[in-house]
Amino acid sequence: MDWSAIFGVSLFAAGLRLAMPTALAAVGECFCERAGVLNLGLEGMMLAGAFASFVGADYADSAAVGVAAGIGAGVALGAVMAFLSVYLKTEQVINGIAVVIFAQGLTAFAYEKLYGQSGASPQITPLSNVRIPGLASIPWLGPVLFEQNVLFYVALALTLGVWVLLYRTRFGLSVRAVGEAPAAADAAAVHVDRVRWLALLVCGGMAGLGGAVLVVGQLSLFNVGITAGRGWVAIALVIFGRWNPLLVLGGALLFGLTDALQLRIQASSGGINASVPYELFQALPYLVTLAVMVAATVRSRRNAQPSALGVPFTKGVSQ
Amino acid sequence: MTTVELALPHVSRRAGQIRTIGATLAAVALGLAAGSILIVIAGGRPWSTYRDMAGGAYGSLFGFGAVLVQTAPLLVIGLGLALAFRGRVYNIGAEGQFYIGALAGGAAVILLPLRLYPLLIALAMVAGIVGGGAWGWVVGKLRARWGVNEVISSLLLNYIGIFVFSYAVRNPLRDPEASSLASKAVPDGSRLPTFPHLFTHVGILVGLALVPLVWYVMDRTPFGFRVRMMGLNADAARVAGVDTSRMIVRLMVISGGLAGLAGIVQVLGVQGRLETTLSQGYGFTAIVVALLGRLRAVGVLLAALFVSGLIVGGQAASIDQGLPYAIVLGIQGVFVVFVLVADRFARA
Repeated sequence: MDWSAIFGVSLFAAGLRLAMPTALAAVGECFCERAGVLNLGLEGMMLAGAFASFVGADYADSAAVGVAAGIGAGVALGAVMAFLSVYLKTEQVINGIAVVIFAQGLTAFAYEKLYGQSGASPQITPLSNVRIPGLASIPWLGPVLFEQNVLFYVALALTLGVWVLLYRTRFGLSVRAVGEAPAAADAAAVHVDRVRWLALLVCGGMAGLGGAVLVVGQLSLFNVGITAGRGWVAIALVIFGRWNPLLVLGGALLFGLTDALQLRIQASSGGINASVPYELFQALPYLVTLAVMVAATVRSRRNAQPSALGVPFTKGVSQ
Repeated sequence: MTTVELALPHVSRRAGQIRTIGATLAAVALGLAAGSILIVIAGGRPWSTYRDMAGGAYGSLFGFGAVLVQTAPLLVIGLGLALAFRGRVYNIGAEGQFYIGALAGGAAVILLPLRLYPLLIALAMVAGIVGGGAWGWVVGKLRARWGVNEVISSLLLNYIGIFVFSYAVRNPLRDPEASSLASKAVPDGSRLPTFPHLFTHVGILVGLALVPLVWYVMDRTPFGFRVRMMGLNADAARVAGVDTSRMIVRLMVISGGLAGLAGIVQVLGVQGRLETTLSQGYGFTAIVVALLGRLRAVGVLLAALFVSGLIVGGQAASIDQGLPYAIVLGIQGVFVVFVLVADRFARA
C-alpha cells in the first residue's frame, strides 16, 4: 500500500470538504440543544434538504435554487419538529424519530414519483472550485483551505457564525438561558417557546443546507440513502463537542478526515480483493464516532449538557 | 407494589383506554386522509387505490399469506420495542440487531453438522436471540454504566452490524456458486414449514405466541410494573428502589434479542440463506408498528397486521394503478406524525 499517496495534501482537502455537511447539521443541532430542544429529527432534515436541493438544482438547472430549496425543506421539517416538541410538547425523542421516518417516507415517495423506480439518478452540474487569489498559493494550506467550492466557505462561515450568535449576542444569551433555566428566562421576559421555535427553524435550515452541500456541492446525484447516518453522527458530535459550536466543528472535521481516509485506503488497497476487508473501512467513520462519543461521555463527570435539554416548558408549572 | 394503579378509580382507567383507542383510530383516519393526498399527487384515485390495497392484502388467501409473511418480523421486533419504549429505553438499533441475530443463527445452521433438524432450528433461534441480545447489551451497558445516549449508540451500531453481516456473507459463509452475493443455503430440513393453502411459513406462530407472553410480562409481573414505573418517572422509580441501570440493560437485551429472533426466523422462513437484502427496513418499520400499537402487546399485533397490509396492498395497488411503490413509505411516515398529534389531544 502506498501510504504517501494516502496521506497527502489532498487527504486534508477532501477531509475538510467531506466534513462540511455533517458540520452544518451538528452546529445546527448544537444551537437548538442549547435552547433545550433535543432534535433527533436531524437525519430526516438533512435527507429532505439533500432531496429538495437535488430536485431544485436539476429542474431549475441552478445550484442556487437547489441550495435555497434544501434550506427550505430543512426549515419546513424544523417547523414540524417545533410543532410537536414546542407546541404540543410530546416526548422529544419520539418526535425526532417520527420526523426521520416522515422525511424518509416522503422523500422516497417523491423521488420515485419524479425519477422512476430504476434508482439511477441523473447527474446535476457540479460546482467548480473557487481559487482564492494569493491565499491559494500558500504551500500546503492553500489547496486545503482556499481551493474549495463556494458552499464550503458558506458552511464554514455559518458554523463560526453560530458561535458568535450564541456567545456574543443578546439573542444567544436568551437561547442559552432557555436551555439552562427556562423558568428563570421566562421570569426575565424571554419568550421561551418563541426562542425554541426559532432555534428549531435555524437548526432545520442548517441541516437542510448540510444536505444541500452534500448533493449540490459534492456528489451531484441523489439516492434515498444518501445521508447515510450523517445526521445521527452529527448528534453524537454535539455530545463529543460538549455543546460548544467550535468543538463540535472540530469533531466534524475529525469525522470528515476519517471518511476521507477510509475512502482512500479502500481505493488503494484493491477494494474487493484486499486482504483487510473493506467493510472495516466502511464501518470506520461510525466506529470512530461511537468511540469519541463514548469517550466524551465517560470523561466528562462535570456535565456540559444544557440542564433543560429534552424537557418541555409549560409556563407557570415548575419543573 | 401495585398501589399506583389501584389508587386510580377503575372508571377513569377504562375511560383512558377508550380515549387511547379513539385517538389511535382518529390517527389512522387522518393518516389515510393524508395518504389520499399523496395518491392524488401520484396521479391515482384515492378511493379505488385504497380498495385495491385492501383487496390485495386481505381479499384473498394468497394476499393474506403474504401479509402474514410481513407481519412475522414486524410483530416480533415490534413487541420488543414496545416493551423497551414503555420503560423509555429508546432502542432504534433493531435493524442491526436483526442482522446480527440472523448472522448468529444462520452461521449455526450452516456450520453445525447436526441432522436432527428440530433441534438445529431451536439452536439457531437461541443463537439468533443471543446475537441480537448481545448487540443490544452493548447499548444498554453503555447507557447504564456511563449514561451514553442509547438512541444514538443503537443507531450507529446498526451500520456497524450491517457491515459485520455483509463481511461474513462475503467471506467465511459465502456460497461461491451463487450468482449474487449470498451465503451458502441452510439445509432443507432446517427451513421452516409452510401452512397448507396459505403460502406462509410458520414463523408467524412465534410472533403470535409472544403476544400473550409480552402482555403478561408487561401487565402482570413485577418486572413489567417496574418497566411502566420507569416510563412514567424514572427518578421516582429509582427512589422506590428500582435498579434502573439494570432495567435498562435488560430492556435492551430483550428488545435486541427479539429483533435477533426475527432475523433468524426470516432466514429460515423466507430467504433460506443470508443475504444483504434480508431486511426490508423491518427494524425501522417496527418502530412505526410499536408506536401505532400504542406500546401494548395486542395493539402491536393489530398494528403489525395493518402495516403489513399496507405493504402488501401497496405493492398490489402500485402495479394495478401505476403508482410509485414508495407511496407506502410516505403513508407510514405521515401516520407516525398523526399518531403523536392524536395522542396529545387524547390526553388533553
